[in-house]
Amino acid sequence: MAATTVLPRPKAYDDTFFKPISIWLTTTDHKLIGIMYMVTGILSFILAGIFALIIRLQLSQPNLTVVDAETYNQLISAHGVTMIFFFVTIFLTGIANYMVPIMIGARDMAFPRVNLLGFWLIPVSIILYYSGFFTGGALNAGWTGYAPLTEKAYQSHSLGVDFWALSIIVWAISGIMASTNFLTTIIALRAPGMKLTRMPLFVWAQISTSILLLVVGAPLAAAMILLEFDRQLGTQFFTTQGRPVLYQHLFWFFGHPEVYIMILPGFGMISEIVPVFARKPIFGYMSMVAALFGIVFLSMTVWAHHMFTVGMNTYVEGFFMLMTMLIAVPTGIKFFNWIATTWWGSVEFTVPMKFAWGFLATFLIGGITGVYLASVPVDTQLHQSYYVVAHLHYVLFGGSVFTIFAGIYYWFPKITGRMLNKTLGEWNFWTLFVGFNGTFLIMHTLGLEGMPRRIATYANPAWGTTNMIITFSSFLIAFSVLLFLINVIRSWNGGEIAGDDPWLANTLEWATTSPPPPYNFERVPPVRSFMPLRDLREARGEPAEPVPALSS
Amino acid sequence: MIAVIGRGRLPLSVLGLVAAAFLLSSCEGLGGISPIFPTPVSPNGQGIYNTYIGISIPAIIIFIGVEAALLWVVLRYRRSKQPVGYVPPQIHDHRTLEISWTIAPLIVVLAIAGYSFVELQKDFLPITNQQMTVVVSGHQFGWDYRYENGIVIHQEGTLAGDVTPFVVPTHTLVKLQFQGTDVIHSWWVPAISGKTDAVPGYDNYSWLKIDEPGKWRGECAELCGAGHGTMQIIVQAMDQHDYDIWVRVQQSGQHAAAPSGTSLG
Repeated sequence: MAATTVLPRPKAYDDTFFKPISIWLTTTDHKLIGIMYMVTGILSFILAGIFALIIRLQLSQPNLTVVDAETYNQLISAHGVTMIFFFVTIFLTGIANYMVPIMIGARDMAFPRVNLLGFWLIPVSIILYYSGFFTGGALNAGWTGYAPLTEKAYQSHSLGVDFWALSIIVWAISGIMASTNFLTTIIALRAPGMKLTRMPLFVWAQISTSILLLVVGAPLAAAMILLEFDRQLGTQFFTTQGRPVLYQHLFWFFGHPEVYIMILPGFGMISEIVPVFARKPIFGYMSMVAALFGIVFLSMTVWAHHMFTVGMNTYVEGFFMLMTMLIAVPTGIKFFNWIATTWWGSVEFTVPMKFAWGFLATFLIGGITGVYLASVPVDTQLHQSYYVVAHLHYVLFGGSVFTIFAGIYYWFPKITGRMLNKTLGEWNFWTLFVGFNGTFLIMHTLGLEGMPRRIATYANPAWGTTNMIITFSSFLIAFSVLLFLINVIRSWNGGEIAGDDPWLANTLEWATTSPPPPYNFERVPPVRSFMPLRDLREARGEPAEPVPALSS
Repeated sequence: MIAVIGRGRLPLSVLGLVAAAFLLSSCEGLGGISPIFPTPVSPNGQGIYNTYIGISIPAIIIFIGVEAALLWVVLRYRRSKQPVGYVPPQIHDHRTLEISWTIAPLIVVLAIAGYSFVELQKDFLPITNQQMTVVVSGHQFGWDYRYENGIVIHQEGTLAGDVTPFVVPTHTLVKLQFQGTDVIHSWWVPAISGKTDAVPGYDNYSWLKIDEPGKWRGECAELCGAGHGTMQIIVQAMDQHDYDIWVRVQQSGQHAAAPSGTSLG
């Protein structure tokens, strides 16, 4: 970082991560809680990734028995639950927990002890879920856990489903706590001058995410409670004698907004990263905010597009199809605005910017296949096939995971005070990009040829080679993640000192030290626009958008 | 070496990816890489096929356009391509541009939704002009087919897929009535049409009309337990003469010779 003055880090914060365990257990500091959320998320990512590798080994050739069908069903369920509930959502809550108060110039979250409780419910939730493995088998009905397969009549041998349902209820309570806390913090604790229209777009994304989780967390818990009534009290809500499809409605009323809970913070991160590395302000700030709320509204009106084969009235299906396709409009606005931000810019493709661009290139595919899936007639072919597996990984991996990596490479210097290694970062990006597309691109065509998802094995010899390529590529992803972990551990201990503002960025978190002191700011800088640090540079008589020489 | 990939040589690596994808797609005899469904043999499958093609036209144009714009930023606006000391223009928004890229996608998705809705009304309503009805019921792990003339076919699942075929006559509009008996299953033969769920508690409907004799494979598409992957389906269409013989054989209680699953069309 040639243009940055390298300051010695203040001694007091130097050992941020090597504190006594009692401090980690009892802290109400949003930054430490944020780090714990993020570490929990990454550990879940590794675990669920290992499950994915076993799944891929099992599918690499026809008629394999690496694991038996029952174990396979538990593995795919654990992979989905862990990735969605314990990795992506948790990691994003963590990074927001760390960044949102600093970005709005606050000292901590509005309810620090609720924050503490909300975080510690997550390990409880994870332990509850994995306890299922010791009761004769964990959840084996996919992460969606459709009734009546999860009902007692078809699960008599184990309590895995009960532990899953309890785990999800605890998780939903934690999510509702975190969302309330975020909304209160953002509404009430902004620094002087930080009007709503001057907030970083990442903070706006966190508002929209929190609203979504507040609205849909309770119906999810309700579905789980009704399922437990069925299983333990003998009610007939979702049983073969009841209304199995009601479960799907309740689940997807949570499940589809959950997709946006996992991607909107990523959109926010991209909106932070792209302007900094293009040396231009974000294009269309207000339309970016409007698009976020457009997505929030629409995402709550589309849940039944997961249910086009259950046999609904075709006009109802038409409604859900139309609303689903309309989401392409606000998402398109965001895409065009990001591209317009870099147009005529001076774009430096640092590692976070590479991940941002990798996100745009791959998420586009997930968005377009989403329109195919929204079309009811086409969906009846694609639904529950490997096409859907490919689509959802383009959205969740190409979307959420790429933005998470972008965010880590962007904010790691702020959190640890040290830069991540650039060479390892480049390797991390390219192996991930190639491995990801190698894994999921040809999955689309497998689905088109008739391979359903969630089958433990297949007899069709024609699918063998394709599945082998997918399995090979999935190990490239694992290699890439390994590079990432090595990079994090090495850089955390001995990376280049970052200084306060290594990227010459625009938002408040870069005004304080890296890592920030427990109280965040000695003095919050004046906020006169949505780019306070740019204003500071201007006030000091420096160029507002300095174009540094290419780094390294 | 990685620095070379990182800077300057990016177009090369992109070209490499495209070349690899092209090589992959031109491999002969490699299954699972068709960019579209199997050739449909039933009119409703053909309708879905046409809708897929119809959506693909704007989808491919948008895909190429946006990826090209992303690539153009990489090629043209990267810092190393800009003159030394270049300070980008500080543009915040552009009303006309923003309105136009809101309206244009709106028109495209409305067109796709309308086009899809027409197909939905054409092929997805329960039919009343059927020539015969078969009740298809799913169970763990197999399918039962009950014909109006009393014949019942038990299609018990096997992983190898050598299951008893579900036989229909050619040139006949067959209404399929789906019932669930335990958990939810989903009946899917890609060459015929999309899936229909067999849900306990109510009936679902689909139909097929096949004009050429042959056999087509499918399987259950909704996770239904440990045997999910074994719930294989074979649909066999026979011309009326063969079908009548098959019906007589079934009704006389004889067991039809187990057909091999190896010569599927």
